[in-house]
Amino acid sequence: MTQEIGINQLKRRDFLRAGLVFGAGAAGLAAGYAAVPDAFARAVYAAKNQGITNDHVLVMIQLAGGNDGLRTVIPLQDPKLHDLRPKLADMSVGQALPITNELGLNQNLKGIKSLWDQGRVAVVEGVGYPTPTFSHFESIRIWETGDPTRRQVEGWLGRTLAQSYDSFGHPLTGCACGTTDVPGALRDLQATLTVINNQKQFGFTGGSEVEAAVGALYKGTPGIYGALFDTAIATARETVNTLRSSEAAYQPQAQYSDNAKLVYSSKNQLAAALQLAAELITTGTGVKLLHVTLGGFDTHYTELNRHDDLMGYLDQAVSAFYQDLNAHGVADKVLVATWSEFGRRPKENASGGTDHGAAAPVLLIGNPVKGGIYGQAPSLTDLDGTGNLKFSVDFRSIYQEILGGHLGADPKEILGDTFDKLGVLKSPVATFG
Amino acid sequence: MLGAAVAGGAGVAAIRLWGGEALQRLEGAIPGHPALAGRGDWNSPLGAEPARVAQLLRRATFGAGPAELERALSDGFGKTVDRLVETRYAPPPEFGNTGDPARFARLNVAQLQQWWLDHMLQSPTPFAERMTLFWHGHFTSDFRKVGLQTPFIYWQNLTWRDMALTDLRSMLKRVTADPAMLRYLDLATSTGASPNENYSRELMELFTMGAGNYSEDDVRAAARGLAGWAEPRPTGTADIVLDPKNNVVRKYPVYDQPAPGMFVAQRAYKGGPFKYLGKTAQWNTDLVIDQILAQPSTAPFIVGRVLEHFVMQAPPKDYVNRLAASFKKSKYDLKTLMRDVFNSPEFTSPAAYRSLVKSPTEFMVHALRALGAGSQSRMVMASASNMGQVLFDPPDVGGWPNNEAWISSNTVLARVNFVTSLLNAVKPLPSAAEAHRQQLDDVLSPQTASALNQARDDRSRWLLVLASPEFQLK
Repeated sequence: MTQEIGINQLKRRDFLRAGLVFGAGAAGLAAGYAAVPDAFARAVYAAKNQGITNDHVLVMIQLAGGNDGLRTVIPLQDPKLHDLRPKLADMSVGQALPITNELGLNQNLKGIKSLWDQGRVAVVEGVGYPTPTFSHFESIRIWETGDPTRRQVEGWLGRTLAQSYDSFGHPLTGCACGTTDVPGALRDLQATLTVINNQKQFGFTGGSEVEAAVGALYKGTPGIYGALFDTAIATARETVNTLRSSEAAYQPQAQYSDNAKLVYSSKNQLAAALQLAAELITTGTGVKLLHVTLGGFDTHYTELNRHDDLMGYLDQAVSAFYQDLNAHGVADKVLVATWSEFGRRPKENASGGTDHGAAAPVLLIGNPVKGGIYGQAPSLTDLDGTGNLKFSVDFRSIYQEILGGHLGADPKEILGDTFDKLGVLKSPVATFG
Repeated sequence: MLGAAVAGGAGVAAIRLWGGEALQRLEGAIPGHPALAGRGDWNSPLGAEPARVAQLLRRATFGAGPAELERALSDGFGKTVDRLVETRYAPPPEFGNTGDPARFARLNVAQLQQWWLDHMLQSPTPFAERMTLFWHGHFTSDFRKVGLQTPFIYWQNLTWRDMALTDLRSMLKRVTADPAMLRYLDLATSTGASPNENYSRELMELFTMGAGNYSEDDVRAAARGLAGWAEPRPTGTADIVLDPKNNVVRKYPVYDQPAPGMFVAQRAYKGGPFKYLGKTAQWNTDLVIDQILAQPSTAPFIVGRVLEHFVMQAPPKDYVNRLAASFKKSKYDLKTLMRDVFNSPEFTSPAAYRSLVKSPTEFMVHALRALGAGSQSRMVMASASNMGQVLFDPPDVGGWPNNEAWISSNTVLARVNFVTSLLNAVKPLPSAAEAHRQQLDDVLSPQTASALNQARDDRSRWLLVLASPEFQLK
């Protein structure tokens, strides 16, 4: 699938890393990016023009803070839930939207329930990894890099961009919408990607003169951040260009609305972020891997209303997004997947909330999905030593499915191993695993 | 072809190490000045006193305009460090309309941000503001969870400034009982009977020790030991007319002056002794903090965080450990630590030069100070979110990630646009003739030098200086 480009890529990669943040520190300073002639960089990028050629798109939605799986996909028949959660369980169970005899979706996931009824939602139960960490930041990094041993520093989607896509001429192959910084999942020194916080503000307010001046300034910038700065400016200019034409070509076919009252997190512009994603997808910008974030899931206190609000918000944004893609005739290409660093503790705390937990469900949504329940709902009576849910599906099984079955990348090359197959896709583009 | 390119790259590096580059001197764009010369790499100028002083002001304060730079240069590096560290901070003016008893009932976060930015810009003791910003990112809280119906988030800013250069033990005790923190990490709703782990975990993971230096049992044990805190009580209530037409009045709590949370013994853990970080005792808040400070991981963790903000990305271990030993020996005295940091040879070593990215706040405040444009704090406020740093609103409990995390297509564009707006707003602009020296140490890339040589007026020169990669670094 991907072309072996050999030592030249490795050299540039090592070279950049030596000068950058994760590596050799002081020694790296001597090896500035400035010493890489442009021709070298161009040749390396040009060598990658035989990557993935299909038009499949992935949208990862991060539910930041640790989403409560037991209030997302709710066990309806287990009396133990009420023992563990005297304050939280009754309302959840009573109002849930049943999808099987045993399981129901949170009552605010109405749109997703209707997609479930159409066979467009896969619920993967009990997703986690061995020896879970309860640190937000460690667990986020594990999910972002796809590496529970914490050695990998590049993101799994960043590696996919770098290894499997022709980045030459397509700097918008990867895109983080509705944020200002590069999400860890997309990070890779070799990956070309853009970050768009707010489309309306994405332009040079000083006009083409300032743009040209800055473009000239940021070339061969010395120092340990030189490559990052130069790439960022070049990508910003490309993005400005692309957005100019995509904005003109795009007519939204759904109502997106951000809930201004929901102030649980600064990351509360999910609808706007997904609308931008829809614009980039439907106008043929070549975008393939997108990442958006909804924050506020760290529900240590007064969880009941807060979590329901978040579920409703997620549901509205995702429903609008699906409707928009469908109306534009591109819903068959796009797979949406949620992820969160961990679930929450089955036993509630004194603040009417829940502390950090472990295994939780992942939702895969879209026409490429073969609807149904996958994995196994974790037992509420057989908890681990920390009082948390045991996992039954390694999260990398889902990555493997996405990479191999949906995008057509080589999952083993990116994840470094093979994992149990789930079969969540209707018609995988390739065999894998 | 590729092989030759690699060899060529190595050659450039080798030449650079020997310092053997011929600098061309041409007639420059600024009358009476020779053309600026750039180099393929930024050779550290820190061997010379003026560059050392300028870097100190970039990192320990928010950069400097010509007058402050002049003063520090005449004092010299050592005396400037003494002055920065030893001068008692100038308190900010009281926030809001002090005659209004209900002024904290509906805190306006934009006004609060501007209040702090104005003080960053105008304070005679900007080091205190820089340290307050550092602690705001470290012991972080956000207005969203803390809420705007109390003065708590404002008080936290006052407290962090007040504690910024005391000692870590005293500071941690104040942090634990800080009303905004009690809300932000849920300690105010935690009880000994049913502890909430949020504060306990982050106290160890993010505030003091770092992940991997304690167990999950320790998280639960500390949560028991720390339980018992409650928010301070309001001293009264005030009526606020919400809707004069329909006579809608609401009672809001009133707080007289900043107060820590209250310890309520009935809410504390009632059981017997238990084990925490290897020791069995009847743990309480003070003892938990003492035990954390007795751990070998604590001093290096704090020192590492400080060095990543003030000296270099990924500081070497022996450097961290050396300063950590001194920090611990001083009983965690924060003045000792900061003095050690600035006086360490590493601070002015070539590896430190331009090794840190200015945070958006530093970048913008620095730009305003360079232009003498202290009245433009509103513009800073308006531009902050698109660069990724809104005061009192960090992205999560980890505060703001720093250095390379500040660089993306979105943020560099936002930085350039800020400079464009700023230069439109500031009239008249000061002369830019010395800007490359005062703000960029005259250490320029060939592109920056060449662009400056071609610029024909102050506006163009300031644009290039403030939007340059050199100015994004500190």
